[in-house]
Amino acid sequence: MNPAFLKKVKRNDRIARWVITVGGMAIIFSVIFILILIAEVSLPLFLSPDKDLHASFQLEGRAAEEKILAMGVDEYLETGYRLDQAGRVNFFNIADGSAIDSLQLVSDTGSRRLITAQTYGRLNHMLVWDDGSVTIERVKFFPFFDEADDNQRSIRHELEHRAIFAPPSYGLPVKTMARVNDEGRQVRVDLFRSGIFQITIIEEEESLFGAGERVQESHQLEIDSVGEVTAMTLSTDGIKLYLGTSKGEILRWDLSEIDHPVLEETTQAFLDQREITALNMVFGDVSLIVGDQQGGVSTWFPVRDADVGWKLTQIHQLHGHAHAVQDVQPSPHDKSVLSIAADGINVSHMTSERFLVNIANGAEKIEAFAQSTRGNGIITLSDHGTVQSWKLDIPHPEVSLKTLFGKVWYEGYPEPTWAWQSSAGTDDYEPKLSLTPLIFGTLKGTFYAMLFAVPLAIFGAIYTSQFARPKFKGIIKPAVEVMAAIPTVIIGFLAALWLAPLIERSLGSMFLSLILVPAALMLSIALWQGARKLSPLKQVERGYEFLVIAPVIVLAVAIAAILGPGLEDWLFAGDLKQWLFNETGTRYDPRNCIIIAFAMGFAVIPIIFTISEDSLSNVPPSLKAASLALGASRWQTVWRVILPSASPGIFAGTMIGFGRAVGETMIVLMATGNTAIMDLSIFNGMRPLSANIAVEIPEAPVDGSLYRTLFLSAVILFIMTFIVNTVAEIVRQRLRAKYGRF
Amino acid sequence: MTAVINENPIIQVNNLKFFYPGDARALHGIDLSFPEKNVTALIGPSGCGKSTLLRCLNRMNDLIDGCRVEGEITLEGENIYGKNTDIIELRRRVGMVFQKSNPFPKSIYENVIYGLRIAGEKDKKLFDERVEKSLKAAALWDEVKDRLQESALGLSGGQMQRLCIARAIAVNPKVILMDEPCSALDPKSTARVEETIKDLRDDFTIIIVTHNMQQAARVSDHTAFLFEGNLIEYGLTDQLFVKPQVKQTEDYITGRFG
Ligand SMILES: Nc1ncnc2c1ncn2[C@@H]1O[C@H](COP(=O)(O)OP(=O)(O)OP(=O)(O)O)[C@@H](O)[C@H]1O
Ligand SMILES: [Mg+2]
Repeated sequence: MNPAFLKKVKRNDRIARWVITVGGMAIIFSVIFILILIAEVSLPLFLSPDKDLHASFQLEGRAAEEKILAMGVDEYLETGYRLDQAGRVNFFNIADGSAIDSLQLVSDTGSRRLITAQTYGRLNHMLVWDDGSVTIERVKFFPFFDEADDNQRSIRHELEHRAIFAPPSYGLPVKTMARVNDEGRQVRVDLFRSGIFQITIIEEEESLFGAGERVQESHQLEIDSVGEVTAMTLSTDGIKLYLGTSKGEILRWDLSEIDHPVLEETTQAFLDQREITALNMVFGDVSLIVGDQQGGVSTWFPVRDADVGWKLTQIHQLHGHAHAVQDVQPSPHDKSVLSIAADGINVSHMTSERFLVNIANGAEKIEAFAQSTRGNGIITLSDHGTVQSWKLDIPHPEVSLKTLFGKVWYEGYPEPTWAWQSSAGTDDYEPKLSLTPLIFGTLKGTFYAMLFAVPLAIFGAIYTSQFARPKFKGIIKPAVEVMAAIPTVIIGFLAALWLAPLIERSLGSMFLSLILVPAALMLSIALWQGARKLSPLKQVERGYEFLVIAPVIVLAVAIAAILGPGLEDWLFAGDLKQWLFNETGTRYDPRNCIIIAFAMGFAVIPIIFTISEDSLSNVPPSLKAASLALGASRWQTVWRVILPSASPGIFAGTMIGFGRAVGETMIVLMATGNTAIMDLSIFNGMRPLSANIAVEIPEAPVDGSLYRTLFLSAVILFIMTFIVNTVAEIVRQRLRAKYGRF
Repeated sequence: MTAVINENPIIQVNNLKFFYPGDARALHGIDLSFPEKNVTALIGPSGCGKSTLLRCLNRMNDLIDGCRVEGEITLEGENIYGKNTDIIELRRRVGMVFQKSNPFPKSIYENVIYGLRIAGEKDKKLFDERVEKSLKAAALWDEVKDRLQESALGLSGGQMQRLCIARAIAVNPKVILMDEPCSALDPKSTARVEETIKDLRDDFTIIIVTHNMQQAARVSDHTAFLFEGNLIEYGLTDQLFVKPQVKQTEDYITGRFG
């Protein structure tokens, strides 16, 4: 060869190799890059929480004898305030403790003094005065831009007087608890030294003429418990009352009826009779936080029990203390729980049971603390008068591996479950972010779709490649390939609006045809085989069998359609759906897996068919000839020679179809109810990972827990397809090594 | 057209015409009879219809869509193109070895017993027996007896071809058709296959297509010379090669054309 030409050939070869290598690498890198991008968004879910001591100072202008009963801080972590015995609210700068100003509580006459204060909700303070009266006050902050002062942003604060409760007739109580709800219903509970326990409820009652009339009812009761009452809490709406005793009992009261408070139950919460030292309600007023003598912190709520009705049950055990718990507080914006003991403040999350942070001030003892309403900061006051301001960075307290994949006992549920229910209308909703039902949904939908698609596609491929006439194959193959080009949105649309109602109407017929069609096929094939022996029919050439088969199938479907309703009448008392529900407890969901199997199968069949058909057609004809020459029938040849040789390709096609089904979004989105249930039944739907992402991502606040969890589910989807493809490739290589020489 | 051999024919071809799709005539009325337990060679220039004739004998031509056969072929007196012919049964009686060896991607053992398996045979002892007998008959036994379970695709080209012969023998056919069985083999393998063919003569009727005159002379008892779809001359190999009756035959075997 001409040396110059040879050089050129070699150069082209080098360039081609280089381009191919770069291209391949680029693909691999971009896939990895996408995976990294997705994973990066979801990763902060697993970051550990962070706390940061932002400032530490002595309060300016605090008199030596000033006793601080309560503290508070705005949600911007700029202004803090303290409440002293005299009923003054002193605002200070949280960065250095410098005084801002001081306001007198509206309700205060100046002569009374405060005994105790309790903070609840969003900077609500329940104050008990030395004359026995109780008031509820709230501090409000408004950020604004001061036009007078060069548009500087500053925060205005204001006091709001919400309610006043008159002193009880018995004299001073030992413990008092009071709440007012938005309609002005007031509930006050007092415990007296004598053991008498008084509940006072004031309600606005609608009279006939529309004018409100205030009604007051008081109930004196004896408490029937072994230990004495050591802790007490009322829900924000004043309806649920819990008492804890020194012997580990919890009493649950229902105060919804003004003239009839009901003791719902008395539970021995702790069998070792440890003292209950603190009670409070988790944000949302469903779960009860219990702090005990031994440092344990747990949450409880009533669970329906078949025998005894509602029974208060321990649901979560949170990170405890080494010392007796002094107080427990809910976070005002999520399901986090704060508990304080001699070793400092613990912040944990109820749902995930994650211990988030511990806040302590060295050797100094924390006397009072306040959290910001957004949960991003805490200020503490020590017995040395030091105020510390902490910034908390707890991005996703409600997410843990357990909540993502394990069973969790959510509020109001009868037992631990896997659940996906990302949000509801209210703030105090407990998000349920379990990916397990979604993974299950993906696998379920894929399973049913493959169950339908694989046999159909493979048998179709065998028929077209091995039995049908070449002319027929020339029509069938492009037709099926065109099927692959139908947008899945259209398939989903048809499935939801046309197929689902059709199948729901003719469920009996559908099942009947599932039996009748194969049976009719078998029968007609057998007859055909017999008939072929007769001479005139012999002229019908091979490869035209479908001309005989097609009418048989149509006929079988028609018969099923006619007989279906009658069959339903006869076997299932007229209504298969009702029968199903009565007999098996399965509810028939009109958008169910039958629809999915058909619709998704429709999308997957072309892929499996085309790839299988190609690999079947590519089996060397010499092998087929060898088999036929040995006296094998066509079917024997297919089964023993063609199929094994084509198996790598058929397998690859099936796996690619599987991957497609796993990732399929539009069809499932439209054709199922998208309910995240864990039920294998073919009569209900599911919610797969892909559809879930499509449904939820527009609603998910960027960088929130839901948003990141959705990205995590995308990573899982990615990994699932990756595993499927890898396994497929390995199996394919094996099969190829075994059967292939081409 | 000369000497039709009448000693004990197993296959008789009467006025056979064969048309490929589109009425392309490949055989123009062949009359021929193949004697039992003999080796008959079919020779002729490329494209003269040797393979076509051979494939007519076990109806492998049926695989071609739109082809047409006229005339008659009888196997042991029965017309194989008759209305009641069972093609599967026919192919069991008339085995075939192809030009390019085509073992299945299975073990050597499975290759040999394939024909038995598809006939529904399940007896393991019979399998073992047949495998040994057929491989011995195909002169392959000594080379593969220790690796029967290994893939047949690991054999050499010559071994594969002998395996294909063993596979054809295993079902005990009456006739074995061979279409240029040695064309892809080296002289040594060719010699071994030829040995095999000579050994098989006692039990089977063999019809072999070959382009190699020496081979035809070495292995066959009778030789038929085809030219452009016609049978030109047919007779005892010794006579045909030494004293051809027809000018065309002489030209062909002396290498003047083809
Ligand atoms: N499948 C086919 N379709 C159409 N024509 C064919 C087909 N196979 C063979 N022919 C034609 O039939 C004639 C006979 O072919 P055949 O294969 O029998 O020749 P041959 O004698 O075996 O030749 P060779 O020695 O080259 O193998 C040739 O003209 C060929 O082109
Ligand atoms: Mg040929």
